[in-house]
Amino acid sequence: MTALLEVQGVSKRFGGLQAVGDVSFTLQEGEILGLIGPNGAGKTTLFNLVNGVYKTDTGSIIFSGKNITGRSPDQVVHLGLARTHQIVRPLNGMSVLENVIVGACYGREYQSLRAARATALEVLEQVGMASRANSPAHSLTLAFKKRLEVARALAARPKLLLLDEVLAGLNPTEIAQMIDLIRKIRDSGVSVFMIEHVMQAIMNLSDRILVLNLGHKIAEAPPAEVVKNPDVVEAYLGFPDIVDKLRGAS
Amino acid sequence: MSGILASMIDGLLIGSVYGLAAMGLSLIWGVMDVINLTHGSMIALGMFGMYLLFSATASNAYFLLAPLIVVGLVLGIIVYWLAVNWVVDRPILMSLLSTFAVNMVVIGLGTAIWSTSPYNVNFSVPGITVGEYTFTGNHIAAASSAVVIALLLELFLRRTRAGKAIRAVADNRAAAELMGISSTRVLMVAFAIGIALAMASGALVSTLFPFTILSGAGYQLKSFVVTVLAGLGKPFGALIAGVLLGLLEGAVSPFIAVSWIPLIEFGLFVVVLIAFPRGIFGKATA
Repeated sequence: MTALLEVQGVSKRFGGLQAVGDVSFTLQEGEILGLIGPNGAGKTTLFNLVNGVYKTDTGSIIFSGKNITGRSPDQVVHLGLARTHQIVRPLNGMSVLENVIVGACYGREYQSLRAARATALEVLEQVGMASRANSPAHSLTLAFKKRLEVARALAARPKLLLLDEVLAGLNPTEIAQMIDLIRKIRDSGVSVFMIEHVMQAIMNLSDRILVLNLGHKIAEAPPAEVVKNPDVVEAYLGFPDIVDKLRGAS
Repeated sequence: MSGILASMIDGLLIGSVYGLAAMGLSLIWGVMDVINLTHGSMIALGMFGMYLLFSATASNAYFLLAPLIVVGLVLGIIVYWLAVNWVVDRPILMSLLSTFAVNMVVIGLGTAIWSTSPYNVNFSVPGITVGEYTFTGNHIAAASSAVVIALLLELFLRRTRAGKAIRAVADNRAAAELMGISSTRVLMVAFAIGIALAMASGALVSTLFPFTILSGAGYQLKSFVVTVLAGLGKPFGALIAGVLLGLLEGAVSPFIAVSWIPLIEFGLFVVVLIAFPRGIFGKATA
């Protein structure tokens, strides 16, 4: 396996708050890497650093062999790094199909309108939204808006997809469908880096999990190891010896 | 009775030119949230551009629109880099002031070159006579040109990649950037188109009435009324609202002195602002 994304010692400070401090990790090609941590741990900030929404204070980001530190979000999309947003941002004035067409037009392959339409239809089929292609984007339910975000990102033909809480706010059936979709996306050759609070989902999906707390990396390991890591348990529950206490109580 | 009908048809024709001017203002506002106060001076430059080109070539004035639109696009790009790019994401007062400054520079230069005395473009298209009324050919030609340009813009926005990028940025700039669209380039193109529309409408007005370098101001005010009527950031709505405003002018002008018309227009402006804050074509929810 080769490294698709190599993040070396990135930091970001907002005034007095160290949002992300000296975080390093690598993401292998074909991998699903999970990113978890308590609220305010710096997960979304780390995403924003990786795809260029924020400029890093220190450190470097190598994507697919290219140094992308300091590149803007639209530039990294052209290199094959696409992203969905925690708060969905459909282009409300356009149809579902048109949203995805725009994604394909300005993605990695800079497709012509005709090619973009074909890509968009194919991607909508893949995410199970083909029947809604002509609906106005603003009329969709949250679950479909989240799928539209994924469809738009996929239309850019990315090598790596950043998913920011695509499961939040979905009901159990919708969660199961989305998990299924994420697996299919990975199987189609797209690597995935995802932030998620739905633990069961991220434990099932991820090959490895990166854990942030207060802006620092406290673990990077397969799911089975992460749940046993005392630092992770402390960050989530507040007691360093919670595991022992719970064991003792039972 | 048919007098008022003729006056309304005339108003409708001129209204489509108001609409074209307002489309430029509306497009720029919709895409980048900048109130472009260079609008009036660009309308005036369109008038003088037409005057110069027509004097030099003596060809059909309406064919000269094409080169003037190209000039407008280039000028728009220059003004964007000089005065707009720096203030796009700053508080709205900054872009108001910087575009107002460009406006004053253009008016100042224009006054130095052409003074403030009236000019006119001496070109006329044969009119159409219906019964006892004759509709001026120039009014019909100007209105048709305005509608054709407006339709071309609408086609461009809906059917081309670049047009879709402009609509995406107008809709949600952050989302558009995440989709790989370079928003700076899109803002520049949208601004250039807005300026080209202002110049084209000025060029059309110059074939209808005499003008001075200060004439743009009145049309700028009408553009504001039309833009608010249509709902900010709805270019095609602006064309229709422009036609409505022209129709209103035509309907009242046989009965009152011309100097009262602005009073009625701005009265309407205030009423619309209160009753339909999102404009008559605006949606209740975003």
